[in-house]
Amino acid sequence: MADFSWNTQSPLQKALVAGRHGVASAQAGVTLVEVRDLVLVQVMARRGKAADTAKAAKKLFGVDAPSTPKAVAGKTATLVWSGPDQFTVLAPRTDESSQIDAMSQAFSGSASLSDQSDGRCLIRVSGPRGRDAIAKFSSLDLHDAAFPVGAAANTAVDHTAVNFYREANGADGHPVYSMLVFTSFADSLWHTIVDSSLEYGVDTSRTRAAA
Amino acid sequence: MRIACPFCGERENGEFTYLGDASPKRPNFAVDSGESPERVEDAFYDYVYLRDNVAGFMREYWYHGGGCRSWLIAERNTVTHEFRSVTAAPGVGASKPVQAGE
Ligand SMILES: [Zn+2]
Repeated sequence: MADFSWNTQSPLQKALVAGRHGVASAQAGVTLVEVRDLVLVQVMARRGKAADTAKAAKKLFGVDAPSTPKAVAGKTATLVWSGPDQFTVLAPRTDESSQIDAMSQAFSGSASLSDQSDGRCLIRVSGPRGRDAIAKFSSLDLHDAAFPVGAAANTAVDHTAVNFYREANGADGHPVYSMLVFTSFADSLWHTIVDSSLEYGVDTSRTRAAA
Repeated sequence: MRIACPFCGERENGEFTYLGDASPKRPNFAVDSGESPERVEDAFYDYVYLRDNVAGFMREYWYHGGGCRSWLIAERNTVTHEFRSVTAAPGVGASKPVQAGE
């Protein structure tokens, strides 16, 4: 009997056509990137164990886990708030099973973990008009004062749940926003973002998560 | 209408789902309390079906399903839609040693 094997592929396998779309100006107004090869784990503190969970996170990642809607960069991962006493761990994939094992041990007895690595798609929006494109489909207030670098939000975009957070500004000085979306909705959200970006010109591509 | 979630901040009401009056308390009768079946039935009938039609402020359950997925209790004026307060329902998050439900 032939060995059965799973072949993982991007949820944007069809939707993402790398290159320039929309207005062909010299510089694209929006840069849209799918970030692949992530390990993504949902951490939910158990009843009465929020303090233990925070302690374990600090020990493993060297930073305080976010207790308000924020994204915090730790030693080996970024921790993104995803609700009261819960957060999502995002790490570039190196050795997935040992990365998950290390977390299982660290949070043993304090939190429940759920591996979402292939359950979510990470889409990153940047460029001088990135914020304008997002404003067309999101009701979040993305003004610098309301949503600075490191801010995070669970929100709904087109009736779809999105974990939204702002990363450090790009080399061009413009804001960079990341969106985590269920893989089955990634295609739809991608088209929404591309459509919103056409008038500014949009460069699309795929990249590996940076270590 | 925007609702200020105690966890997420102010959001559009499309992210929330309305459940209803947060005041009714589930009747709690011990199995062998000797309570008459009629009284138990009346209490449950009241709890399940009967609601006050408040004109003014009432306590309501709202669910922030498009955000932090927390149950909230809001004091809303049914006449003006003014929100006086929005707080987490008991049992939300893991910090408090309270089980879900009131
Ligand atoms: Zn919320």
